[in-house]
Amino acid sequence: MPDQITFTHESEMPYVPISQGDMEWNKTGTWRTQRPFYEDKTPPCNAVCPAGNDIVSFILRIVNGDFEGAWNLIREENPFPGICGRVCFHPCEGKCNRGRFDEPIAIHALERFVSDFASHLPGQKVNGTKRQEVSKKRKERIAIIGAGPAGMTCAYHLARLDYDVTVFESLPFAGGVLRTGIPSYRLPREVLDRELSAIEALGVKVQTGVPLGPAMKMEDLRSYGAIFIAAGAHRSKRLHVAGERSRHVLSGLEFLKAINLGEDVDIGASVAVVGGGNTAIDVARCLIRLGKHPIILYRRTREEMPAFEEEIGEAIEEGAEIKFLVSPVRIREEKSLKRLECLRMKLAERDETGRRRPVPVPESSFFIEAESVIVAAGEETDLSFLPRGVKKRDGIVLTQTNGRTAVDGIFAGGDFASRERTVAHAIGSGKRSAVAIDCYLKGEDPEKVLQSLLVGNGPSISVFPFFHPGGPSRNPHVVAFEELNMDYFEKARSEKETKYPLPERIKGFFEVTSSLNERTASEEAGRCFNCGTCNECENCYTFCPDASILKGARSLSHEVDYDFCKGCGICFTECPRRAISLREEAR
Amino acid sequence: MSEESDLPQGGSKMKRIITGNQAVAYGVMLSHVELISAYPITPQTTIVEELSELCARGRVKAQFLKVESEHSAMAACIGASTGGVRAFTATSSHGLAYMHEMLHWASGARLPIVLVNVNRALGPGWNIWNDQSDSLSQRDTGWIQLYCERNQEVLDTVLQAYRIAESISLPVMVVLDAFVLSHTSEAVDIPSEEKVDGFLPPFAPKYPVDPMKPVSYSGITTPEYYLEFRYKIQKAMEEVPEVARDVDHQFRSRFGRGYDLVERYGKDEGEVLLVTSGALTGTARTVIQKMAEKGHKVGGVKVKMVRPFPSKEIGQALQGAEKVAVIDRNISFGVGGILAQELRAGLYHREKKPPVFGFVAGLGGRDITPDVIEEAIQYTLDHSRPDGDILWLGLKK
Repeated sequence: MPDQITFTHESEMPYVPISQGDMEWNKTGTWRTQRPFYEDKTPPCNAVCPAGNDIVSFILRIVNGDFEGAWNLIREENPFPGICGRVCFHPCEGKCNRGRFDEPIAIHALERFVSDFASHLPGQKVNGTKRQEVSKKRKERIAIIGAGPAGMTCAYHLARLDYDVTVFESLPFAGGVLRTGIPSYRLPREVLDRELSAIEALGVKVQTGVPLGPAMKMEDLRSYGAIFIAAGAHRSKRLHVAGERSRHVLSGLEFLKAINLGEDVDIGASVAVVGGGNTAIDVARCLIRLGKHPIILYRRTREEMPAFEEEIGEAIEEGAEIKFLVSPVRIREEKSLKRLECLRMKLAERDETGRRRPVPVPESSFFIEAESVIVAAGEETDLSFLPRGVKKRDGIVLTQTNGRTAVDGIFAGGDFASRERTVAHAIGSGKRSAVAIDCYLKGEDPEKVLQSLLVGNGPSISVFPFFHPGGPSRNPHVVAFEELNMDYFEKARSEKETKYPLPERIKGFFEVTSSLNERTASEEAGRCFNCGTCNECENCYTFCPDASILKGARSLSHEVDYDFCKGCGICFTECPRRAISLREEAR
Repeated sequence: MSEESDLPQGGSKMKRIITGNQAVAYGVMLSHVELISAYPITPQTTIVEELSELCARGRVKAQFLKVESEHSAMAACIGASTGGVRAFTATSSHGLAYMHEMLHWASGARLPIVLVNVNRALGPGWNIWNDQSDSLSQRDTGWIQLYCERNQEVLDTVLQAYRIAESISLPVMVVLDAFVLSHTSEAVDIPSEEKVDGFLPPFAPKYPVDPMKPVSYSGITTPEYYLEFRYKIQKAMEEVPEVARDVDHQFRSRFGRGYDLVERYGKDEGEVLLVTSGALTGTARTVIQKMAEKGHKVGGVKVKMVRPFPSKEIGQALQGAEKVAVIDRNISFGVGGILAQELRAGLYHREKKPPVFGFVAGLGGRDITPDVIEEAIQYTLDHSRPDGDILWLGLKK
């Protein structure tokens, strides 16, 4: 307390009630019944990303102009930003809170932008031209089967943990389905090569052209400390109709692989494509680029198509014809033409996938003619080489969420062990297994470790705290739109990637969309609400009636001055993004 | 809304025909007000409209702060004024009532804010027309109250109000009649900026905000000192008539016109003196002149300052009157016309105490025509004492 002044005559007094000094002796914080505190929470984009990307944080770096930092941050979780930015089905955008306000953030476009930006950085290590000499600190060797997204992600993180990793790939190239299944107009080969070689640059050995079989058996890998099998799902499902095994009837994967590896395919001018998944759509769009006329036959309606909505739209734009509620029952050959006998279908009750089951309309058969038929009715795994003891069910390897199979030391992931067959899920599973393998080799409980790394309520994990322990953490609570304060946002259109005009793009296999530039990426990143994440907007600082928000010299170092904070909660209410929490004061 | 060419440049030879509300806005413009915060309400709205236009065009270099209520409008003025900024707001009726708490705060903090209130009745029944109940029911809030008779007086009173307020550190309410002045045009001389600048220096707060020397304003004041602060407000109020006369004196010497706090008009001898305030006085002047011409010994008294109540000045003005008639365009329920009550209280200590005829008329905007005024005077002439404390004029019965 400062000296107390005593007035004995009114003339000594000021004419207004005013203190003669500051009032900091009056610690108004003692009045507080509720306590605000800074606490980052989980944005819905992060929570839903199967690869476990820290989306909100990398976007914040873009906002701050640190594009390289954004790229590095993604690679803490995911070695494939250039690939995911292009081919991921971006569930993050579906859950983006901004979608409830105007349009979701074009997260995929931002991810792609930072990767493309980084590829032009001088002297950066991603090109993989120079293989880094990695000093191995650990003696354990790890074998990975399959150089697809799951295997390579697992290899990447294990290499970051200084393990000696060897990847065995049956094809002559690394990349798996990224190379054989995804056409270059969606994923240019140089992007794939760039990101794969960056993994090799960490010291990962990739042995290509080594299929499991007589030449190399599972037993030969016994000397490895752990094995991760991510052999993918490379077998096309069959239709089980007569004539399916005849000439000019190909599987979708076969066709895409040939096209993607630059082989010629003798296929004629008109092609019937059977199926409604991404493979069917990719096949159709490749055919268009080859100057053919594809007709997609799908037994349900567009609503049930498992292919990504955007891809379906682009395929139709490019001239693909889709016949819905049609199912071939027989393939015949007539004068070098394929004659497909088809039935019309109608939708009945929902099946176990939640989609309505197609049932044939009686006496509805009709014929469709084409020079060839490509069957893209789904993919399945080849589990024939699995060692004894590894359990499987319904065509996939059974694993725990951490990738452990029933056999000690053998882990599995990717399409091989999951029905959620997307690149992002494969990356997520490779990452989980990398952590689990590390735990296994150290004798730690992988479940406990993985539990501590969950993003939101999982199942995705973030390995950032695993690699950088002791950093700030996020509350797993996923921020809902209703928790944000919309008073501080204005409607703004999303910055879109530009697409090449139709007549141009169907002429070749070059990439359909072009990347955002630095300006449009910054604009788009600036639209992000930063749900649950302090971005120093300063609302708390501006509104605090007790001047009790303290700012440190470092960025993101706001603190509440509890000596004076009365707990009015204005900071909590006016925080546009729920980065401040409020809890009852324990007395 | 005025066109650019239509804006008053000030100091022109010609008077301009403007409404009372425009006179307010131009007074504010010439006072170099730095913060305007207001919430619209009929019949005040055109003041704020005009000011927002003047701000938008850069003619008034003020922060124009939109708020969600009159309470906030006054709170904003209080904050600005504490920070050493000349602040202005305007309101009417329910808006003024809504500000009530903050009115006390402004005077308690001794902030020289100027508020223009356009007199309007309070509901229900819902009524947008003229009476003085709104401003007079705020008479105990510690605000100086100045009532205007004409549009010229409105403009001039705004200028004087800032001088008075800043000299004595008390807020001033300038009052004008709804529609009769606010929306009626009269010829008004708009003085030049230079001339006004010579009269009204920039606001220099006595306790300015200084971040290097932090203090706390308006903090808790214990029973030990609270009474002294109230004493000081009252002392300041007692000084107001002297300060206001001095300000008016300077105004007269600069602009060649001025306004008494209490003005006695008409013949020197008056058997009956009629006391009024506001625009009603204008009508009363012509009625009294006509009646005097007919040989009646009648005169008039205009009360411009109602707070502080200038008992001394009124006592002097009423000297020699045998009877006093007051027309109140307001009522304090349970007592009667407010001016009449104040006047009776003021006369109590004087040796000669003429009977006071307290007329109540024109509530809720009912016209007080020359006939109504004449009726009041005639009644007073005809009766030695009033029939009651309240004499209703024009009551349907």
